[in-house]
Amino acid sequence: MKILVPVKQVAIIDEDCEIRDDGKNVDVDFLDYEINEWDNYSWELALNLQETYGEDVEIVPLTVGPDEADDVLLNCLAKGGERGIRVWDDALVDSDSFAIAQVIAKVAEHENADYVLTGTLSSDYSFAATGMCVAGLLNWAHAAVVSKVDITPDAQQITVNRELEAGIEEEITVESPAVLSIQLGINEPRYASLRGIKQAKAKPIEVMSHKDFGLTDAEVGEIGSLSKVRKMYAPELSQAELIEGTVAEQAKRIAEIVKELKGGA
Amino acid sequence: MNKIMVIAEHRLGELTAATFEVIAAAVGLKRTKGFSVNVAVLASNPAEFSAKLNIAGVDEIIEIQIQENQFQTDTYEAIINSLLDEYEPSVVLTSNSIDAWSCMPIIAAKRQCGFATDVFALNYDGDDLIATRAAYGEKMHVDLEFPGKETVLITLRGNTYKPIEQEASVPVSSFSAPSVNARTTHKRFIEPETTSDVDIAQAELLLSIGRGIENEDNIEQFEELADTMGFTLGCSRPIADNGWLPKSRQVGQSGKIVVACNTYLAFGISGSVQHMAGMKHVPNIIAVNTDAEASIFTIAKYGVVADMFEIADELINHFE
Amino acid sequence: MINPEHDAQVVTRIVQQDFPLWMSVTFYLAAFVSTAIFFYGCYIQVRKYKRGQPFSLTHIKKGIVDMIKDLLSHRTLRRRDHSAGLMHALIFFSFVLLFIGTVTITLDYDILRPITGRMIFWYGEFYLWFSFVLDIAGLAFAIGLLYMMYRRKWMALPKLNYARSDRTQEEPDYDRSWYRFEDWLFLWNLVIIMITGYVLEADRLVWLQDDPTVWDYRWWSPVGTLFAEAMKSMYLTSEGAESFRYFLWWFHALTAFLFVSLLPFTKAKHIFTALVSLVVRNRRSPARLPITDATAESIGIRSITDFNWKQLLHTDACTKCGRCHEACPANASGFPLSPRDMILSLRELSNNTLQKIKIPEAPLLNVVGDGVNQIRPETLWSCRTCGACQEICPVGIEHVPMMVDIRRALIEEGEMDPAVQTALQNLQKKGNSIGENKRKRAAWTKKLDFDIKDARKEPVDLLWFVGDYASLDPRYQKVCQSFARILRTSGVDFGILFESEMSAGNDVRRVGEEGLFEYLAENNIETLADCDFNRIVTTDPHSFNTLKNEYSELGGNYDVLHATQLVRQMLTDSQIPLARTLSKRVTYHDSCHLGRLNKEYDAPREVLGSIGVEIVEMPRNRDNAFCCGAGGGRIWTPDPIEIEKPSEIRMKEAASIEGIEAFVVNCPKCMNMFEDAVKSTGSDDKLKVIEIIELVENCLVDEVQPL
Repeated sequence: MKILVPVKQVAIIDEDCEIRDDGKNVDVDFLDYEINEWDNYSWELALNLQETYGEDVEIVPLTVGPDEADDVLLNCLAKGGERGIRVWDDALVDSDSFAIAQVIAKVAEHENADYVLTGTLSSDYSFAATGMCVAGLLNWAHAAVVSKVDITPDAQQITVNRELEAGIEEEITVESPAVLSIQLGINEPRYASLRGIKQAKAKPIEVMSHKDFGLTDAEVGEIGSLSKVRKMYAPELSQAELIEGTVAEQAKRIAEIVKELKGGA
Repeated sequence: MNKIMVIAEHRLGELTAATFEVIAAAVGLKRTKGFSVNVAVLASNPAEFSAKLNIAGVDEIIEIQIQENQFQTDTYEAIINSLLDEYEPSVVLTSNSIDAWSCMPIIAAKRQCGFATDVFALNYDGDDLIATRAAYGEKMHVDLEFPGKETVLITLRGNTYKPIEQEASVPVSSFSAPSVNARTTHKRFIEPETTSDVDIAQAELLLSIGRGIENEDNIEQFEELADTMGFTLGCSRPIADNGWLPKSRQVGQSGKIVVACNTYLAFGISGSVQHMAGMKHVPNIIAVNTDAEASIFTIAKYGVVADMFEIADELINHFE
Repeated sequence: MINPEHDAQVVTRIVQQDFPLWMSVTFYLAAFVSTAIFFYGCYIQVRKYKRGQPFSLTHIKKGIVDMIKDLLSHRTLRRRDHSAGLMHALIFFSFVLLFIGTVTITLDYDILRPITGRMIFWYGEFYLWFSFVLDIAGLAFAIGLLYMMYRRKWMALPKLNYARSDRTQEEPDYDRSWYRFEDWLFLWNLVIIMITGYVLEADRLVWLQDDPTVWDYRWWSPVGTLFAEAMKSMYLTSEGAESFRYFLWWFHALTAFLFVSLLPFTKAKHIFTALVSLVVRNRRSPARLPITDATAESIGIRSITDFNWKQLLHTDACTKCGRCHEACPANASGFPLSPRDMILSLRELSNNTLQKIKIPEAPLLNVVGDGVNQIRPETLWSCRTCGACQEICPVGIEHVPMMVDIRRALIEEGEMDPAVQTALQNLQKKGNSIGENKRKRAAWTKKLDFDIKDARKEPVDLLWFVGDYASLDPRYQKVCQSFARILRTSGVDFGILFESEMSAGNDVRRVGEEGLFEYLAENNIETLADCDFNRIVTTDPHSFNTLKNEYSELGGNYDVLHATQLVRQMLTDSQIPLARTLSKRVTYHDSCHLGRLNKEYDAPREVLGSIGVEIVEMPRNRDNAFCCGAGGGRIWTPDPIEIEKPSEIRMKEAASIEGIEAFVVNCPKCMNMFEDAVKSTGSDDKLKVIEIIELVENCLVDEVQPL
């Protein structure tokens, strides 16, 4: 059983950052990077399956990103897995979820994967679509926002729980091969020690281009995306009325406000 | 005719509140007489739901009968695909729901039409549809456009549009569903364990705790405070994930939308998008957090930059 | 003193007097067997240590000198338990004398006499003095032993209570009856040797009462003679004494042989293991923990054989004195950790596996686990790395590095409290344990009405390494602002690293994440390498400790001061313009990393004295200060709510002092813990928690500012 786990290096910004010249994104100088929190859970799921079923399972982390994105692969490989894949090309800049999914789908085919596990969404854009776009391109069975999974190798169908609104869950069976997007809380991601990360550098990371999978430049990047950024801007933020003073004074004011509201309600 | 198609959503026999918000958004998008709003409802007995969709501004209710009432992704994908082939709408709207996350990207990927999720503002700039959504966890806004896309699929952020009250008599048509190869099968729904009898969605006064609580043992203090103040205790996701409070107490997108709440007192909650989705509509939000930059202060009415434990210690004295 | 009528040569004791040949031969055979067993026992022990990892000793000469000093002064035993130290000194020195006595006799009688045909020195005046000294030595020995019996049985000392904090009563290794048996066996064995020795001596005197060369000089063995007079008064005759003699002689010999043979297998081995342990002890520990090859295949201790021979020897040096057990703050709070029990478990594990002919299979060698003599993870995670255990151990056992070494393996396996994991992940991502954005690190400087120099861009005289908690904890930020104002007002040329500063990594290393420690240290060293400064100062004792003691092994050699050391110097040089002095009565808490680990007890006290603050010491102060509980990663881990935390125990200790108004600290973590504790113990109406720097700043201004 081969499990492909796309993981994303997401960008985080600070309050005082600047928009780049073309107005479409934050200036690279102000971006810090980290692994997408959801991907820790999908990778942990893959690790658990690998540990349960041993040699029958191969798990491979995949990322679409430039050189720095190797960090997220190393973070994964520090915990387990034998090799990673990174796909990058300048043409991939400004790709949306769909364009990225194009690449992931090709890799999944190339790797003969049985399952693709993604995170439900990524913390920078929260599109929540990349995983399912992959399913659409591969035409595989799929389930999004998965909170519980029961996979055995060679199973024709698996059982998963979807986490719905208002705390309800739905138990469904899904045919394999399948694409699942994994929700937070499904497991407890383990710690990747610095030593583990250093040792992971010895594991091979294959770096490819989308072209190696037969994708043209027109199918990726901004051109291949299903939406284009016209403008990115910092919104006018309303600010709360700050209650100042000592803790005792602040608490007193809160109490006053609450009593007013209660009295009026 | 520019058709704006709305995919109605329902669960456990009820149309979702979000459906009505989406309809309102759709109606609001009709800029000229050349637009129509067509609402599609997929159900085992669609007529039951059509009755509730007689809303002013809606031009057509399309009933599609399917075998099972609950959402099945391949079914929705196949049917919506056929609807799009038939109707060729310029915009397809649904809410940013978990079900939509399952089926809409599939449709978008296969048709390669325009696509954006979690949109909270839709406008036309001339003939161009501009969808506004957030980025970098609410710190930035992005205006998206879809040049060259005949159809654009949009999922709308909840709690953003006010449903339309006015009723109207809307013509109903039916659409036959194509055959579907369903690759997932529903087994059952699992309701959350309600260890408490409280439904926080019904509460008017909520006192909610977040990551700032640090430690399960500190919850007791806030339980007591809530009790003394006459507030219902709620929490953000990390608290429920840790099992420190039952899931039924979680406020947010995957928890409860606290529709009845009038006053929300947030302690140690920074304000993630998902959490705010559950409570940002509340008119009186008082947020207490040591971080002056916390997102919750952007939606709160009153902000207190202080240690939540110190405030709680003092606050309880005013309510004995 | 010899009667001129007596031939001095004859004034001696005839060894094995009147023994038939077969009896003498049997004696030497028995001696041989006993010694053989002794050496075999030694071999088993040494083979056990060699089954650990190799370890090369440095500073062996200094170690030997230190050990001799420790031994002669008995300073490690006298600390905090004067009477035990004194009594042990009695036992030790008299034992040494008695041993030298035996060796002397063997030398002259068994070696020189057969060669030369006569006794060379053991006769006459020498013999009389010899007898006297040894008789008194024997008395001292007996007094010491009897005191120890009294101490053990009747004084009910908490440190001698073998009840375990890391096991429940139903568990098989909770029972310590073998230890108690062994303790009493040891004491009784020696006491019996003593008693039989005197009785034998007395018996000889009674037997030889008619020989003037014996009887006339009997008072040179005063104790023996008292026994003899008593025996005579009970109508023992010479013939009667003679008939008892062989029995007494052999009884005494056999109990002595028993002691010698069993020595390597029992508590008595501490005679050797303690000595060597004191020679090999690393006095820089636990301020400096041993560096490890972070690129090695695996790090940390998983199997008992992963320990090196020095560490295995340490576990054998333990005499169950319980001083560490008593000193440990985690133990005092009811955590499942006792340093004593950890060392003893390791010893038992090591004995049960490495003393066998063939070392058992791997799983049986595992140090961490739920089984008998294994250490549980919660035991290890309870440790605060405060060093109180190691500091008071009379035999130089190094509990902390051993514990950290086991933690290293757990961290590699991902076995840690989720709160620790979060802190480590924050440190990896953001360089601080709190998870705050890097750019916020210097946000505290914005509240000042002057700019602080950026040490990365300009040369400075003093580089102030601020630290995580100091930078980001809201309460302590005020202290940083105070310190900045002091430095500014005093005209010091100083700067900080702003957001390029990462956590110094002291606690990261002590939690066991060695790779992350190196990453943080290497980053800081690189940043510092680009700066131009003379000295580093910090208000944070944890940063102080690692910068001063551990960074040098990674290439960072700096002149590091703690803020109180700098302030003392500046006050002495009148560099700080004091507008007034305070008159306060306070108590002062020695933080573990500044105090016990780096022995800086005086600078803060002198600073307080210079500004007019009177210190009323807590009962446990200086090297005996009681840890606030934040070290070893515990500041990141919530404490169970039902226990009385170390900080609360300490606060109560302070609150019981009359007439003080403040609890003075010198560390951001202590401040954090004690601000909570002063409220939770209800002491906040009596005491304020204040940092020493804040008190100094208070003297800079003329108007009275409420603290």
